[in-house]
Amino acid sequence: MNAETEKPPLGRRLALHVGLIAACLAIVLPLLWVLRVSFIPPQQSYSTDLLPGFSTENYQALLSGRFGRSYLNSIVVSLGSVLLALPFAAMTGYAFARFSTGGRFARFLMLATQMLPPVALVLPSFTLLKGLALTNSLTGLIIVYAAVNLPFLTWILMGFFKAIPVDLEWAALTDGATAWGAFWRIVLPVSLPGLAAAGVLGFILSWNEFLFALVLSGPSTQTIPVALAALQTSNGVQIGSVAAGVVLAVLPLVIASRFIQRFIVEGLTYGSVK
Amino acid sequence: MASIDLRSVSKLYPNGSYGVRDVDLRIENGEFVIFLGPSGCGKSTTLRMIAGLESISAGDLLIGERNMNRVAPRDRNVAVVFQSYALYPHMSVRANMGFGLKMRGASVQDIASKTEAAASLLGLSHLLDRKPAALSGGQRQRVALGRAIVREPDVFLLDEPLSNLDAQLRAEMRLELVKLHRRLGRTTIHVTHDQVEAMTMGDRICIMRDGQLIQAGRPLDVYADPVNLFVARFLASPAMNLLPMRLKDESGVLVIEGSDGFRFTMPQRHAAAYAARAGTTVILGLRPEDIYEAPQGARTQPFDLAVTAVEALGAEIIVLGTVGGGMEKPMEVTARLSRHAHVQVGETVRLHADLLPAHLFDPQSEQAIARPSIRGAA
Repeated sequence: MNAETEKPPLGRRLALHVGLIAACLAIVLPLLWVLRVSFIPPQQSYSTDLLPGFSTENYQALLSGRFGRSYLNSIVVSLGSVLLALPFAAMTGYAFARFSTGGRFARFLMLATQMLPPVALVLPSFTLLKGLALTNSLTGLIIVYAAVNLPFLTWILMGFFKAIPVDLEWAALTDGATAWGAFWRIVLPVSLPGLAAAGVLGFILSWNEFLFALVLSGPSTQTIPVALAALQTSNGVQIGSVAAGVVLAVLPLVIASRFIQRFIVEGLTYGSVK
Repeated sequence: MASIDLRSVSKLYPNGSYGVRDVDLRIENGEFVIFLGPSGCGKSTTLRMIAGLESISAGDLLIGERNMNRVAPRDRNVAVVFQSYALYPHMSVRANMGFGLKMRGASVQDIASKTEAAASLLGLSHLLDRKPAALSGGQRQRVALGRAIVREPDVFLLDEPLSNLDAQLRAEMRLELVKLHRRLGRTTIHVTHDQVEAMTMGDRICIMRDGQLIQAGRPLDVYADPVNLFVARFLASPAMNLLPMRLKDESGVLVIEGSDGFRFTMPQRHAAAYAARAGTTVILGLRPEDIYEAPQGARTQPFDLAVTAVEALGAEIIVLGTVGGGMEKPMEVTARLSRHAHVQVGETVRLHADLLPAHLFDPQSEQAIARPSIRGAA
């Protein structure tokens, strides 16, 4: 077989590439546009020139307001909810994976909670938190996010634990470990990549969440999605500030997605000792 | 040091099927026992019940005369080597081997000295700081063994530990395991489906099928006197020839006949045992190595084989062919001849069968028809 028959004809290759590039642009262009808007002076936000000027004014305006506080709130809430949910998710996921605790019904029940629209959970959550005087507090938000993300994180970790060869735990048990010892000393360290992946996913979910944050937070406890929404005022949308806020909000996710990629790839190769 | 006693041990699964059924077996202190059987026969399940990794549904398990039914794995003082080795991937070889001692609260010095002693015994000293992922298959296998040895358990349970190794390494490790057993003298159960391992390694083999213990005995005894068709077929390769034939009493002489050209006189020694079966169809079990190219004195009787295939293995030749050309369904016979035999595909050769070691089986019950063993006799 020679080189010419291996490759499709030039015209087809060209069409293929044009199509692929167009598809990529459809995804990337809006993001690039947001990046562009964030760095041009606010007066020229709607200019049709490619780059009518460069300024960090949008960022300065944004950070001089309450956005910095919201940013910090988002970090605290997202991190806090993950740290709260992960240990429970790990233990539940392990029990489901290894001991089939609660059987199919328990697993279905857990998934069923994910089928409810979030809006159905907002009001009960609000009522509960109000009773505990935890509305308008980061603690309340952390608890609610941890609870809402728990089924999802449990499900992910259950998959990871199932993939761990049971021989490893058996070896630990005969080596003298208790069931808890086998979980703590063998299963958890081996599934560290899985825990990291689940943690990052949980972080992203909390980071992007809007509805609960809107209802349960107040001016001093609002998170980034709420703060960004607040920039759409009755005096018009401050598009430059919104763009700057979006760029700042996406930044941790870009970093996180790099990590999650590494961890997931690692997770696939790490435990396979045969 | 401990004996193992299985008393009517069963494993019943929630779906009502038996993984293991009524296994009765006593393994003496220091014995090396092989569990042999096809996949899913219950041998690994039995091993895991002894280790405490599976619950026992019925019956009693005694290790060192102590009932272990409800004792946690960590309190049984058994060590398991798994087919997958099950090395802890996040720990170094040193930590892997020392884990059991650490869990039992041994001192740091104790752990270090015992780990190093076991490592030098297995030739792992230079690998102690590596992670399992950086080891070859054979090295991982040794680490798994080392992890078991370090703890000085009463019982070693080996679950197909050699099946992931290549042929040469497997042969080496086979010898090494036997040496190790001789040196440590611990009660050992070795699960395998490899017949060579079964025949060469253990003091006794226990053949299992469908969760039941079919036959237990010294390897050569089981080989010589299989209790039923399953054992006859399963042990050894090429397998025993199993030929449905008719047993006849011809004026006091017991004859077994397949077709006009394929008939033998039964050895006088077995006549008494088999006389009652005269006039019935039985299955003749004839090992391929009991067929010779040349007559071996009065012991052998000739027959003609139409050769259909020849496998020259170097040290010997496996000949496949059919007998009883006049029959509706010719019977296939495998013979194991010396490498000097001259046999061609397509020709009919005269071979000579020794019926003395042969067995007769009941076609319905598939059990061997009892006769005195010839083991120990010339």
